[in-house]
Amino acid sequence: MLGKDVELIEGKPIAYIRSIKAFVLSDIHLGYEAHSARNGVLVPKVNLAYMKKMLKDAKAGREVHMLIITGDIKNDFSSVETEELNEIMELVEFAALEGLKVILIKGNHDNFIDRYKESLRIEICSESKEIDGYVFFHGDSVPKIKGRPKMLVMGHEHPSISIISPAGRKESVKCFLSGKYKGTRLLVMPAASYFAGNSSVIHAEKMMSQIFRVVDVESMHAIAFGYGATMDFGTVKTLRLADRRATAARL
Amino acid sequence: MVNKIEREFSVEESLSVLNPYVREWFTKNFAELTPPQKYAFKLIAEKKNVLIASPTGTGKTMSGFLSILSALFEKSLEGKLEEKIYCIYVSPLKSLNNDVYRNLTRPLEGIYELIRASKGKEIITGNIRNVTIGVRTGDTTQQERRKMLSKPPNILVTTPESLAILVSSSKFVENMRGIEYIVIDEIHELASNKRGAHLSLSVERLQEISKKKFIRVGLGATLHPIEEAAYYLVGTEEGKTRPCTIVDTSMVKKMEVIAISPVKDMIYTKEEKIEDEVYKEIDRIVSASSTTLIFTNTRSGTERVVFNMKKRLKYKPEEIAAHHSSLSRESRLEVEGLLKQGALKCVVSSTSLELGVDIGTIDNVIQLGSPKSVSRAIQRIGRAGHTYNAVAKGEVIVLNRDDMVECSVMLDAALHKHLDSFSVSRNPLDVLAQHIVGMSIDRKWEIKEMYNLVRRAYPFSTLTMEDFLSMVDYLAGNYAGLESRRVYGKIWYDKETGMIGKRGMFIRPIYMLNVGTIPDEVSIGVFEISSKKWVGNIEEEFLSRLEKGDIFCLGGKLHMFDHATGTKCYVSPAASNTPTIPPWFSEQLPLSYELAERIGDFRHNLSKELERMNQDEAKSVVSSKSQIKIPEGAQSILDAMPINANARIAIAKYLTEQLLFAGAVPTNKLILIEYTRDDKSESDILIFHSIFGRRINDTLSRLIAINLGVILGQDISIAINDNGFVISPEEDTEIDEETIQQLIRKVVNSDMEAVLRGNIRNTEMMRRRFRHVASRSFMILRNYMGRRMPVNRQQISARMLMKAVEEIDPDFPVLRETYREIFEEVMDIKRTKELISRIKEGSVEYKFIETVSPSPFSHTILTFGHADVVLMKDRNDYLRYLHGLVLKRIGVKQHASKSKKAKRERK
Repeated sequence: MLGKDVELIEGKPIAYIRSIKAFVLSDIHLGYEAHSARNGVLVPKVNLAYMKKMLKDAKAGREVHMLIITGDIKNDFSSVETEELNEIMELVEFAALEGLKVILIKGNHDNFIDRYKESLRIEICSESKEIDGYVFFHGDSVPKIKGRPKMLVMGHEHPSISIISPAGRKESVKCFLSGKYKGTRLLVMPAASYFAGNSSVIHAEKMMSQIFRVVDVESMHAIAFGYGATMDFGTVKTLRLADRRATAARL
Repeated sequence: MVNKIEREFSVEESLSVLNPYVREWFTKNFAELTPPQKYAFKLIAEKKNVLIASPTGTGKTMSGFLSILSALFEKSLEGKLEEKIYCIYVSPLKSLNNDVYRNLTRPLEGIYELIRASKGKEIITGNIRNVTIGVRTGDTTQQERRKMLSKPPNILVTTPESLAILVSSSKFVENMRGIEYIVIDEIHELASNKRGAHLSLSVERLQEISKKKFIRVGLGATLHPIEEAAYYLVGTEEGKTRPCTIVDTSMVKKMEVIAISPVKDMIYTKEEKIEDEVYKEIDRIVSASSTTLIFTNTRSGTERVVFNMKKRLKYKPEEIAAHHSSLSRESRLEVEGLLKQGALKCVVSSTSLELGVDIGTIDNVIQLGSPKSVSRAIQRIGRAGHTYNAVAKGEVIVLNRDDMVECSVMLDAALHKHLDSFSVSRNPLDVLAQHIVGMSIDRKWEIKEMYNLVRRAYPFSTLTMEDFLSMVDYLAGNYAGLESRRVYGKIWYDKETGMIGKRGMFIRPIYMLNVGTIPDEVSIGVFEISSKKWVGNIEEEFLSRLEKGDIFCLGGKLHMFDHATGTKCYVSPAASNTPTIPPWFSEQLPLSYELAERIGDFRHNLSKELERMNQDEAKSVVSSKSQIKIPEGAQSILDAMPINANARIAIAKYLTEQLLFAGAVPTNKLILIEYTRDDKSESDILIFHSIFGRRINDTLSRLIAINLGVILGQDISIAINDNGFVISPEEDTEIDEETIQQLIRKVVNSDMEAVLRGNIRNTEMMRRRFRHVASRSFMILRNYMGRRMPVNRQQISARMLMKAVEEIDPDFPVLRETYREIFEEVMDIKRTKELISRIKEGSVEYKFIETVSPSPFSHTILTFGHADVVLMKDRNDYLRYLHGLVLKRIGVKQHASKSKKAKRERK
């Protein structure tokens, strides 16, 4: 369904596109811990280290030259906080050491980041970026699509699925969504952030991203990952049906 | 050295130690000395640390205070009474503080009046001033605080939380350097928990601040082992317990108690009929006395009883009132006032009237349902009776079958003075964190000096340097990178010089605004969606578990959850008759271990006698409508119990029916494992009848569920109760005797702590407790930069925090404390270990039986379970397991090989 060119790295929120030798990562939300500390919750810093480790592990045995971030590299809407900038710098430096060129497509959290374009030395795109037929964008709005791309890749949605076990416990796992937008393949990336809140596509009454005004989410496949594995759970429609049955069985 | 004094002093000896004016006032106002006073006056006058255990209404406060007042008036008469604090009184309740303030103001005025009459002008020339008293709590206004700073009272009445603030107030501390006495009231409410551990450190800090060693006086009710409470009161010095004399007059009050079963048969009588009879009993007792105090075990229970007494028994609103902790302070004070005037016929309370708040004269105490501990039963019933030498009359009305056996055994134990034991909360690291911060605010410390101070408090007397340093490291923010210490560190610690101190100027307000051990909980109002009518309250934690369509029970009715906004939750009447979410039991107290043990013993002895009957005799006992005939031995066991005739019959029937149905009665020596079918959920379940109390069952049930989950490869849901627990495997799971034997073998040979630790990290309880510990450890600041964090924000934050902390260090001190709290305060890992070794050696046996429907002893376990889910231990295949569930639900057969094939291909 994703085609031979795109590989979802086992157990991780990373997509690998062979032809362009790129990793795609979305919704990292660096600076979350500092934001939290300002509100009186002293969350220790783990997100950045987690990203680095994940990328390093995923890179083993693969040829990768590019890191495409489909939006929300940072967390704060209103400015670029010192802690955020430090962490972004660190991530960019890490990427450089690993031989990865960073391309950021701006998300709704990435305000004011252009100011640091020079010092960061990364490519920042405000709407979308096309590379060899792959179109990358964040997802808070839908860019104009020209021609016939191979695939659209977006973030923003933070998709997950939650499944009720017979014992009555709700278990949530993050997922990719894979389907079609006006005949073109569409891949919705999960949020990579260690902390990101996720919205269950099974129970969501309305999806966040504009693209779902056109795309019927029920037709999309939820490809879940976690516990060291990645697995296609079937269409959202099927998952919703299973969920209704499980709920009915409990009543 | 802690010693118990056995011989009381004579009245003359006791009075001779008092200043003549104080003595005159006392003999004018009181005809005689109460039992604790006969010990305490002299001991305290001799400047001894004294722990006084005595019931409410035995002149306990006066026994602790009169010698102190006497000493203060001596100073005054010499013209040496200064404007500083000589005595600090601490009680856990603000309402008690107000009582004590009032109750001391009277003697102070009376005594001073006598002095004035006798001394005349000398009052002024000799600078003879009255002893002053002041209250300082969270409710004290800014203005009063300022006044107190410049003109401190001689006796300061306060709460543990306010004291913790005062010892860190640089200016106020100056007023406390001359402290000579500290009085800690309701010590039984403090010694066993974190709040008490917190207070113990404040007291040691106070001792450090004050110039000389002060006298410690502890006041409390029934408590066992009482020596432990004495250790708590006095603490240690250079590794040795400070001296303390114990005055134990806790058993002076005579009791007349009886357990009442409202009906002869608790199994076949309909619930409505039992309820009718319960209210008839209540009416009979209330109408025969002038004032009755009714205790229920929950706040919702209190509301229900008041409602029904008005509706069914036509009590007028001015005759009856409710008193519980969810009510406003004003309405509670009003009820207390009415009680003192004798204006109420009846008051219904949950726990709030259990402590020594002054409520005037109560004729009779009714307890509805088991209060779960012998000490609590004595404490509650002790509220009845005009004076200490009156007989306390109490009736316990039982509500269901297990309750009936429980209450009977409990009252029997109370009459024989067999108390349940308490234990002091040992080395709580979150409490320690607050005081390390507090001490660092005061001044710079040498690390060893601070550690030594901490160890003087009994709850921390065994604290290791390693644990202490791990907390210092945490507070210094050493878990964060160097550049972020500014954000994460609250103190600095210089390893080279061994010095420790505060970091930054914000830390003082953070300490002042967040100190204390009581976590934030918010109650959510439940409303009918169409009529907007209020139905009741649930806890926020409970709300967080609800999803649209869930059915739960509240106020005796079933409701279907629709949605929630802020602190309101909307429901519609539920069409179904089974809740999908079990009732929330955090409100309910767990059955004490000692009492559970005694119940097991009672069941054992009685069933041995009942087993002498043949089938026909047994059947006739069960079917008889009135009189029953049981073996003589059984009859004499029942006759010796403090219970009514109905209860004798009902207990005999209950055990006999269980014997007939299941062939065995579960006891403290026999765990019955019943494999049966639950008609309500239409599923096969395992019921473990283990009469060991909820804390052991909480531990044991998880061990069983984890190990069974491993055997069966699935998530297991459990429901826990004082008398046993229910294990629900997935549908179509076959369980036989062999499975159970394999299971028990696994359980007795497992590494308990490791297994449990791995398991509870995913539970609601862990999340909740972690939030509490994190906020006590100042990792979540509830009050920060002028904002108060709502509980739901705290919950989300705690979740993120826990994930992050686990990522950086699985043994992070805040996590470690959460596990300790759960293992030692929610569960009972120590006694569970003992039980498991008894199972291993065979002195506690287990028996597997299969029944077509649940046996009589199962019913209450099934109805009142506290539920949780124990997750599959091996999580490597978890994603596949979840996927399998989806496929099963949509009716697709699983192809396990397919995914394996896919994996191979990828390789």
